Amino acid sequence: MTAKAPIIRSKPLSRRTLLRGAVNGVAVGLALPVLDIMLDEHGEALANGTPLPRRLVTWMFGNGVALNVEGEVNSGLRFWPSSTGVGYEVTPQLAPLFEAGVLDYCSLCSGFDVGAAAEHRRGHHDGCTVFSGYPFIELPAGGSNYSSKSGGPTIDQVAAAAIGGETFLPSIQLQVSKRIVKGEGPTLQYLSHKGPDQPLPQIADPQEAWDKLFGGFTPSDDPTKPHRLAALDAVREDALALRMRVGSEDRHRLDAHLESVAQIRTQINAIAPQCMTPPLPGETNTDIDGVEPLIAVNQVMSDLLALAFTCDITRVASVQFSGSVGGTVFSDLELSAGHHAMSHESARNEDIDATTIYAMARFAEWLVALRDIPEGAGNILDNSCLLLSSDCASGLAHSTFDLPLIVAGGGGGALAYPGIHYRSPSAQNTSDVLLSCLQTVCPEATEVGGTLGYSNTPLSAILA
Amino acid sequence: MVRISRATLVSGAVLCSACYVGIDFVEDDAQADGGSDDSAADSGADGGEEELGPYAEPRLRVLLGRQYVNAVTDLLGPAAGEAVDPRTDVALNGFVAVGAAQLALSDDDIDRFESSARAAAAAARAADTLGDFYSCEPADLADANCMTEFVADFGYLAWRRPLDDAELARWVAVGVEAAVDLGDFETGLEFVVAGMLQSPYFVYQVERGEPVADLGAAGVERRALQPHELATRMAFFLTDSTPSRELLAAAEAGELDDEAGVRAWALALMDHPRSQAALEGYFAELLHIDHLEAVAKDGGTYPGWSPALAESMRGETLALVSEVIWEEGRDFRDILDADYTFVDEALADHYGVAYPGPAGFQRVALPEGQKRGGILGHAGLMSSLSHVDSTSPTIRGKFVQERLLCFTIPPPPPGVVTDLPSTEEAKTMRERLALHQQEPECAGCHSIMDPPGLGLENFDGVGRYRELDNGEPIDALSDLDGDPFEGSGQLGAVIRERPRFTYCSVANLYRHATGHIESGGEVDSLLTVDDAFSAEGHAFRALLVELVASDAFRLVGELQ
Repeated sequence: MTAKAPIIRSKPLSRRTLLRGAVNGVAVGLALPVLDIMLDEHGEALANGTPLPRRLVTWMFGNGVALNVEGEVNSGLRFWPSSTGVGYEVTPQLAPLFEAGVLDYCSLCSGFDVGAAAEHRRGHHDGCTVFSGYPFIELPAGGSNYSSKSGGPTIDQVAAAAIGGETFLPSIQLQVSKRIVKGEGPTLQYLSHKGPDQPLPQIADPQEAWDKLFGGFTPSDDPTKPHRLAALDAVREDALALRMRVGSEDRHRLDAHLESVAQIRTQINAIAPQCMTPPLPGETNTDIDGVEPLIAVNQVMSDLLALAFTCDITRVASVQFSGSVGGTVFSDLELSAGHHAMSHESARNEDIDATTIYAMARFAEWLVALRDIPEGAGNILDNSCLLLSSDCASGLAHSTFDLPLIVAGGGGGALAYPGIHYRSPSAQNTSDVLLSCLQTVCPEATEVGGTLGYSNTPLSAILA
Repeated sequence: MVRISRATLVSGAVLCSACYVGIDFVEDDAQADGGSDDSAADSGADGGEEELGPYAEPRLRVLLGRQYVNAVTDLLGPAAGEAVDPRTDVALNGFVAVGAAQLALSDDDIDRFESSARAAAAAARAADTLGDFYSCEPADLADANCMTEFVADFGYLAWRRPLDDAELARWVAVGVEAAVDLGDFETGLEFVVAGMLQSPYFVYQVERGEPVADLGAAGVERRALQPHELATRMAFFLTDSTPSRELLAAAEAGELDDEAGVRAWALALMDHPRSQAALEGYFAELLHIDHLEAVAKDGGTYPGWSPALAESMRGETLALVSEVIWEEGRDFRDILDADYTFVDEALADHYGVAYPGPAGFQRVALPEGQKRGGILGHAGLMSSLSHVDSTSPTIRGKFVQERLLCFTIPPPPPGVVTDLPSTEEAKTMRERLALHQQEPECAGCHSIMDPPGLGLENFDGVGRYRELDNGEPIDALSDLDGDPFEGSGQLGAVIRERPRFTYCSVANLYRHATGHIESGGEVDSLLTVDDAFSAEGHAFRALLVELVASDAFRLVGELQ
């Protein structure tokens, strides 16, 4: 198969998108070619009746948010407005979204609990299951370091398995802060998991992200192409033969290997989208005097993803802004401690509050990047669903009840606009929210997660 | 001598205030070992003799990043090695080797292997190294005989075994088609190389073993690694690279069929130019200094910190470890309490000692009165086992208990408020942790984790000596499970007398070498290795030989 033709737009990019790409002196978000419009008369679908593509993004920041009362873990989170429904009030932590003009795209889901987290309790590891709905798997330590891995695919990978075949890349995994922990296994280290044994490392360097999204196309007349494909076919034969001679666990791994061989074969064969490739960004996410360029990287990454969505290079992404147990230092806030360590000092509640506001400002940039690119009668954000969460409510007690949960974007008309604040009266399973998000891109999906995290009851309150 | 006579697997057993979990030892004498002498918790043991359990099944192990680069380099030359971009290693249970044996490859990994293999093949062709694998003169572009010679020889070295007929035919076809289509025989070779380097037979260590007649004393089903598999396991363990042509030939000739032959080849591999770097790679991971330059430090608190300094710190620790490993007859445990170290100019400045020059790392005596000694006083470990702007006795103590003594520390209980308080009365880290320990739910584990770290409080978050913490004098008198010490030299001296440290060193090395946490049946073999290690005066080179020659290394379990 070949990659699907990109969405062709008739409107120029907004002035902001054109200008804001200039980070570190090198432009990123330059205009795509304006080709013939192929939309229907309402601008809601392609002229041939194919609906506009829908996208799904998971977006995570680590270590939870501030408490209402310092040190009092039962005082609730400062994250939530007190009013519910449409027109909830703008709290300080939500202010960056409001100021960026994207709060109307956000539905807040408070009072939920992570069903999957209840199976085994271990701080942070349990909360990370919010993105999959599967309880994590503890690896027998036997006198070594504790480790866990994801119990099942995260929601982005469920979506990628369903719709990833439509695009050049089934999904992409991006990362902003590099201060993630590597010592306790993939559950904490990575946001996306294709399955328990398939954590997906994320890209922290914008140049590498650019290369992945825009630099991987093989010209259709490349004379080496058939021989690269022949080599991959021989690799496939080798793997199939080996598969017959290994144990059952390794058979599963070789199945994954074979799937990826098939995917790379598809990518080599893919026709490059009719989109102008943006120039290679100058930003490489290199520390400057030990300080991470969080804002610059966040901007470039969000621009790159918005352009990749526009060109329909992928429809699924995950963004790990900061990691679970991550030691991100918020130098822009003049903080000097690592985020995780700070979250375990109740006296630093105000600092944690500031880091949450900072994270919301960064999240807002992704929404703005998507909103500022028109598509059809609306924009890319109208046709996207972004799920924001963290690995705990408050880091101080590692609680998973009431953790931050935002569903943003129009979901291609599936999600409520303007967004609402829905407060669960019954500590509903966060997987209900996952399923609602999944259904924006895979309407046929009927369930998500497993065992205690299982849900077949999407949250209807946030739907249009 | 206190020695470990047997191990009792009490996986999941909860010992000592809900803290120690893992393998527990019962020692011959009555010495309490870290409070873990609570035999009532040995719920799995009946009279001290329990089922040994099977050997672990062999698993496909993807080459570690450095092994992949080295293997390409050793096959095709340095230019090819420089052309490749290895995949990211992911650790499980603290070892990338364990991740390599369990995790599946992703699209990105396969993509990387594809582009890296092509780049390596092109670089090899440019550097003229493809001629190493054939001597025939191709009669024409479609000369299948000559292509077969190349595929057979390159395949033998790259896949570490002879190819079967189907494999030969498959890859000859790839080469001939490319040669004919693109009008150049060598281009055909290039596609063979690029393809075969992507094959699972190159990117994984493939082990199946074969049945053995002798089931061993325990009567446990085991399989012996086949000669090529054993040669491959030995080469990747001891040199981080692919086996040489000579080693493969020796394996084929039966030289690895008995213990004596394995020992002889282990000794030979330890003289390989890559063996020191291979062990340094292992120790860098074990001692948490492998990613030191990426560690964040607050510039205000620790103005001297830089990635370059971090590299010097890693260099110091690896210099000491390497010296102790490779010096004839040295006791490995000297890494714990050596009264000297190695510094380059930047590190000498960091420690405030005179740099003797002229260049590079030089041996110096440790400064007097700083209670330093051994790796636990090294700036690298102290930096990586700290927070961004402070020390962490808990992280340091957890490292001692978990990494050096192989105790698994459980997490904070669910729902507990994990607050590290700070008050007017509690200013030093020691005082703050004492407040934290007043919570009974926290005390169980923190009373095990914190003390070894509290005795290192004179070393700040980047390993510099200090006497004040937050303006208050530091009290670094502490104890390791009842044995008093102050500073790293004394802590090292306490640890070196623990049989558990010796065994844990064996177990960790085995985990790295084989990519799995030892199973019940393998523990017995490792205890035998441990005995030999002790009998050889704890010489690390003896440990390497004993481990490679052991049943646990040479045998595997049934495929599941």
